[in-house]
Amino acid sequence: MNRKFLKATMLGTTAILSASLAQDNFREPQYRDVQGNVTLEVWSWVPGLDKTAAEFTKQFPNIKINVVNLGGGAQTYNRLQTACRAGSGAPDVAQIEYGFLPTYIETNCLVDLRTLGASNLRSYFVPWTWRQVSPRNQEVYGIPQDTGPLAMIYRADIFKRYNIPVPRTWDEFARAGARLSELSKGQVKIGNFFSTYSPWFIALVWAQGGQMWRQNADGSWVQTLNNPTSKAVAKFWGDLIKAGYVSTFPAFTPDFWNPMAAGRIATSMEAAWGPGSFAGSLAQNPGQGAQYRVANLPQRTLGSFASGNWGGSSNVITRQSKNPQAAMLFINWLNTSRTGIVSDWNNGGLFPAAQAGLSLPELRNPDVNPSKFFGGQDVITVYQRASQAVNVDFTWAPWLPAADAVFADVMAQAIQGRITFEQAIDQWQERTLAEARRNGYKVTGGQ
Amino acid sequence: MVTFTVFFVAPVLYAIYLSLFIPQQVNGNLTQVFGGLQNYEWALQDNQFLKSFIHIFFFGIIQIPIMLLLATILALILDQMVDGFLKRFFRTAFYLPYTIPSVISGLLWGYLYSLNLSPLNYIIQQNGGQPINFLASTPMTLFVIGNIVTWTWVGYNMVVLFASLQGVPRELYDAAKVDGATGWNVIRYIKLPLLRPALFLTLLFSIIGTSQIFAEPFALRSIGFVPNDITPNAYLYAVGAQNGNYSYAAALALVLAAVTFIFSSFFLRIIARNSNDQ
Repeated sequence: MNRKFLKATMLGTTAILSASLAQDNFREPQYRDVQGNVTLEVWSWVPGLDKTAAEFTKQFPNIKINVVNLGGGAQTYNRLQTACRAGSGAPDVAQIEYGFLPTYIETNCLVDLRTLGASNLRSYFVPWTWRQVSPRNQEVYGIPQDTGPLAMIYRADIFKRYNIPVPRTWDEFARAGARLSELSKGQVKIGNFFSTYSPWFIALVWAQGGQMWRQNADGSWVQTLNNPTSKAVAKFWGDLIKAGYVSTFPAFTPDFWNPMAAGRIATSMEAAWGPGSFAGSLAQNPGQGAQYRVANLPQRTLGSFASGNWGGSSNVITRQSKNPQAAMLFINWLNTSRTGIVSDWNNGGLFPAAQAGLSLPELRNPDVNPSKFFGGQDVITVYQRASQAVNVDFTWAPWLPAADAVFADVMAQAIQGRITFEQAIDQWQERTLAEARRNGYKVTGGQ
Repeated sequence: MVTFTVFFVAPVLYAIYLSLFIPQQVNGNLTQVFGGLQNYEWALQDNQFLKSFIHIFFFGIIQIPIMLLLATILALILDQMVDGFLKRFFRTAFYLPYTIPSVISGLLWGYLYSLNLSPLNYIIQQNGGQPINFLASTPMTLFVIGNIVTWTWVGYNMVVLFASLQGVPRELYDAAKVDGATGWNVIRYIKLPLLRPALFLTLLFSIIGTSQIFAEPFALRSIGFVPNDITPNAYLYAVGAQNGNYSYAAALALVLAAVTFIFSSFFLRIIARNSNDQ
């Protein structure tokens, strides 16, 4: 061995060592494999989760993962709810958004993960997400998967073409809407109102400090869907819709993606998992000359900064699972391991709930989706800012599914012009209250 | 008798039992407690449930006559045709939609009625018009569902009516011909009166079927907003699967069954009276 070679090797080793030292503030828990061959059924609508699951099976060959994608939100929940009540047919692991967790806690469907060692994992996650999976501050019902702080996805090319500055406040947003409508002869809308997804609307209210529910010490509830902030937000969007500046295409349908690609919608208020679904759903047809970028959520005034959270999910284990140990290993690995977090980001655009995940350099790689789709922009950093500005003390009620359905209904009536948007919010409160009571909850209305 | 008990009587009895309970928060946890007729009281005051009946009522009085008229015309044409390839072809072609599961047909029609993908809207836009949002309001959505249901069931009803026409003894036509009856007269005075029993049967099935529409609005959800109260069964599903309130869903199901029963027997009564008049 000659000296030159030795020197080179040593230099190389040092370089590798220092590089790994620099990255290794990433902390993973110890994963302990389980005995025997196991197949886990997982219900989730995370895009490309099967690829991430394959990575898991590579590491733990005795555990096979069968990913079943029933579709987002209600399509999965309705089936899960039925399987839980029926006592059979539920998967081992399911994806549940934070807001919908209380529904399943009430039906006694989920395993308390403290029995599987979850208490040790608390320090790995962004603190407020742990509060969401442990709403009573005792039992732990899920492992946080991702969060959905809101930011604004916009078409930089449209703002450039019409020479309009990208809005930073809601006032600027409204003015940009009017200007855009004038210059494009009504062809281009400034944004889209997701009238069939109440959690989207709730996140906008949340960003401005409105609260929808709280639970009293005796277990009874107070519901304030028609709080002043909620009404103000509804009126703001309602006015823009009536003026023709904002469209009302249903989210996640071709009817939304098509006009987006065609350049007929300039912005969309999207959660941190939004860029992933943009990159996925618009992959075939991104639109000619389209430049997708992410900016902060418009604010009430310049200088203030706040955001709300739309969705974001946890992974739960149902009481029907025959292999809770293996299931725990999987959801732990999925949300705390470097491989799991990076794969979920690249395949599904999941904004990790794991604290250390947020600073991973792999999530800032401009050549990989979703960043690649956004012209190499460091999407994560924008959302990280939003994440820090989310009010962490937000409570959900177990009858969110009912509130969600009523919201879609009253908003449809408001869009048709049969009632005003403020009346719609009042009806939302009243009808949801009646349904919650019929479903057995002690709940009063309030302000 | 055993199967009848197990598969028919038992579920109904269980539904009745279930409907007498209501969920209630006891010490913070949801528990089922005996509620007597509370669920039924709620059902009769439930605006969404009542609206779903109004929707389906107007749906029925418009869609059923159109569908049966079309089915009758097609059956008469088919009956008139000479035996051969064409006759077999049309018989199969009209029946084919019935063999497609309603979820699939819901999706197929869904795309034809989608705001941005519909060929209809494409043509409208090519000619400078504004695209139509076919799911913009409940009446529009009901129209779309009516279109799908008609397309699916015309062929089925046609086959029932056609079979009944085939059962008419040929001598009757020969006798009519001897008496000088031709074309329209044969239809008016021989075929239509003989079709009456089959028409009543298809009418009855259609009333019952209409009261149970579920798959079509459900499938349309993938392209846009369809309210829960669009049909009674869709609302039942929301109460059960979405809100998890099975006892209330059971009560609603029993009310729906009762209303359907009353409606069908009402029609049967009219039919029986009319037949006696003849």
